[in-house]
Amino acid sequence: MTLSLEERWTLIDKISRETVTFGKYEHTLKDAIGELTVKPLTGIPVAIAIMYGFWSAFGSFAGTLMTDGFFVKLFDGYWLPWLQGAFPGQGSWLYSIMVDAGGLGGSEFVLSDTCFEAFGVLTSGIFVAIGVVLPAISIFYLMLALLEDVGYMPRLAVLLDTVLHRVGLHGYAIVPTILSLGCNVPGVAATRILETKKQRFIMMTLLAIFIPCGAQIGIMDKVVPALMGWILLYLIIGYFIFGYILNKVVPGKAPEFLIDVPPYRKPLMRNITKKIWGRITGFFKVALPFVMLGCAIVNVLYLLGVIQWLGDVLAPIFVGWFGVPKETAGPLVAAFLRKDLAVAQLSVINMTDYQRITAVVLVTIYFPCVATFAMMLKEGWKELIAAIGVLIIVVFTYGGLIHLIGIILGVAE
Amino acid sequence: MGHPNVGKSVFFNRLTGANVTESNYPGTTVDYTKGWMKIEGEDVELVDVPGTFSLDPKDKAEDVAVAMLHETRDVKVISVIDASKIERGLYLALEIIEEGYPVVIALNMWDVAWDKNIRIDARKLEQILGVPVVPTTAISGEGIKELVSRLKDIQPVEVDDIIANAGGLT
Amino acid sequence: MNYDETGTVTDIDGDLRKRVAGMGIRVGKRLRMITKQPIKGPVVVIVDEAETSLGLELAERITVGVD
Ligand SMILES: Nc1nc2c(ncn2[C@@H]2O[C@H](COP(=O)(O)OP(=O)(O)OP(=O)(O)O)[C@@H](O)[C@H]2O)c(=O)[nH]1
Ligand SMILES: [Mg+2]
Repeated sequence: MTLSLEERWTLIDKISRETVTFGKYEHTLKDAIGELTVKPLTGIPVAIAIMYGFWSAFGSFAGTLMTDGFFVKLFDGYWLPWLQGAFPGQGSWLYSIMVDAGGLGGSEFVLSDTCFEAFGVLTSGIFVAIGVVLPAISIFYLMLALLEDVGYMPRLAVLLDTVLHRVGLHGYAIVPTILSLGCNVPGVAATRILETKKQRFIMMTLLAIFIPCGAQIGIMDKVVPALMGWILLYLIIGYFIFGYILNKVVPGKAPEFLIDVPPYRKPLMRNITKKIWGRITGFFKVALPFVMLGCAIVNVLYLLGVIQWLGDVLAPIFVGWFGVPKETAGPLVAAFLRKDLAVAQLSVINMTDYQRITAVVLVTIYFPCVATFAMMLKEGWKELIAAIGVLIIVVFTYGGLIHLIGIILGVAE
Repeated sequence: MGHPNVGKSVFFNRLTGANVTESNYPGTTVDYTKGWMKIEGEDVELVDVPGTFSLDPKDKAEDVAVAMLHETRDVKVISVIDASKIERGLYLALEIIEEGYPVVIALNMWDVAWDKNIRIDARKLEQILGVPVVPTTAISGEGIKELVSRLKDIQPVEVDDIIANAGGLT
Repeated sequence: MNYDETGTVTDIDGDLRKRVAGMGIRVGKRLRMITKQPIKGPVVVIVDEAETSLGLELAERITVGVD
């Protein structure tokens, strides 16, 4: 037998009267902070402060302290020269793939000075993965775990609800978005907390296109620190422009927001370490092999001349439409496997700052990496195909638009 | 089963030794995870599901949980309730009981309820509902042993009996 | 319509009744509204010491008698 809603509540009322006594509830400091962080007047400044703190901790720990202060010295100073000498057969295929291609595309063999230029599996591959990406994601996940366990996410959702409504989503879409900043895969999975198909589709498409993952942000911050602001600005603007358009175009409903805001809790050390540990082991198991594989594949394609050929074929689009050098074709191939690798590769191609901004944005918005791809497929192949359709349109229009803006600003031609 | 963010995943990890994510926001778990635990030497399968506010799913994550419940009729349900929000927790627990599932209720976040000066007479609640009710604090492990020990002898109950025990609907 | 401070729920519109039931919001419950975000943003209410946030359109369908 089932009860009606009213009957069930009546029953609960009765039971509760017999078994529960509500003592006097005293407002605690936690509640006070809780209220302050959702009230717009106080909450928005707090949110900005938290995000800023997040960002600067990320930059200073990952970029400055670990990568520049330690790993660059280690890899460029010791590992690379040692390997260049110790690995047999300089100039051979294997040597080029594993250690040092000696100036990509150039006719003379010159030993590289840095692990960015060498582009061997054992040099750049390992350096990018361990020296740059690992510190970046470690600190990212530490801070993410803190935000999650303290209980801040739902409050951020409340504050951002209004803005996200403009793109057919609601405040809670911030959860998949933030998770995606770590890795797009759990981000795509988290779209399930959104109510309608429309919302999930918009969210998934925006994530796959505009949200760079932690690994990628880490390396961007390393190779193009001065241009980060521009790149992120372009991505955020894109997120909203195309979100707005999708909201208008995609049929379906965008229901209102209805969520539970949990109380703040003191994060458990045990849980935080467990999460980070899980991420780091996952990184070694999944990301590291992919970075190395990606590196190897790109090198082989270079040696076979495929990338040069692709560059020539695509040159009109690259140079004419996007305004970036045709060598960018190589990184775009790598981007399908690992975006961090692609950004690392871009850093050694000779181009102007504005071209670099465009190229990095393109690497981000163009195809999601294989892992994300697989996850999207799991959520439905129809959506995946539609998302790819949107993606292609976005890459061309937005890429062209960025080029156009550059021309107008007089920094591109 | 239980509302989002009541500690289901903490329970699951403790009981099976698994490693699913626990976070302080609703909607952490969006897919089910299966695991195994031992009860008196016997292997028993346990499933962690996303939280849901009712048996009438409003999003895809809730859908996973409700579908899991409905597809496997011969299951026992650990209904995890946030003791500090007991009334709404009972709402979902009753829905599950009404559908005829054998249920054990974990009054989780007992520590939180205690701090909020909410006192629940678990014994009496158990008498009225006719299903085991165990106060627990999942993060410290309190009450989990008792919960497990009571899992084996749970039975479906009739709502009519509950109504009678509570003294009618008026 | 809702205002700040405390009140008692007197009516909930149609199917919404079912949706918010799981969140403990129902007729006769006392609730306190703690914030209302600007530009048609969501409201945050406290029911039984649990914070819930609702979009304004949903909130408007819940009638509260303010004391
Ligand atoms: N104080 C206290 N906190 C708890 C207790 N049980 C769980 N928590 C905390 O509550 C939060 C939610 O726990 P989860 O296990 O992720 O919740 P869940 O029910 O799986 O949530 P969803 O996956 O979103 O449905 C975490 O931050 C836990 O640390 C408890 O008994 N007492
Ligand atoms: Mg969970």
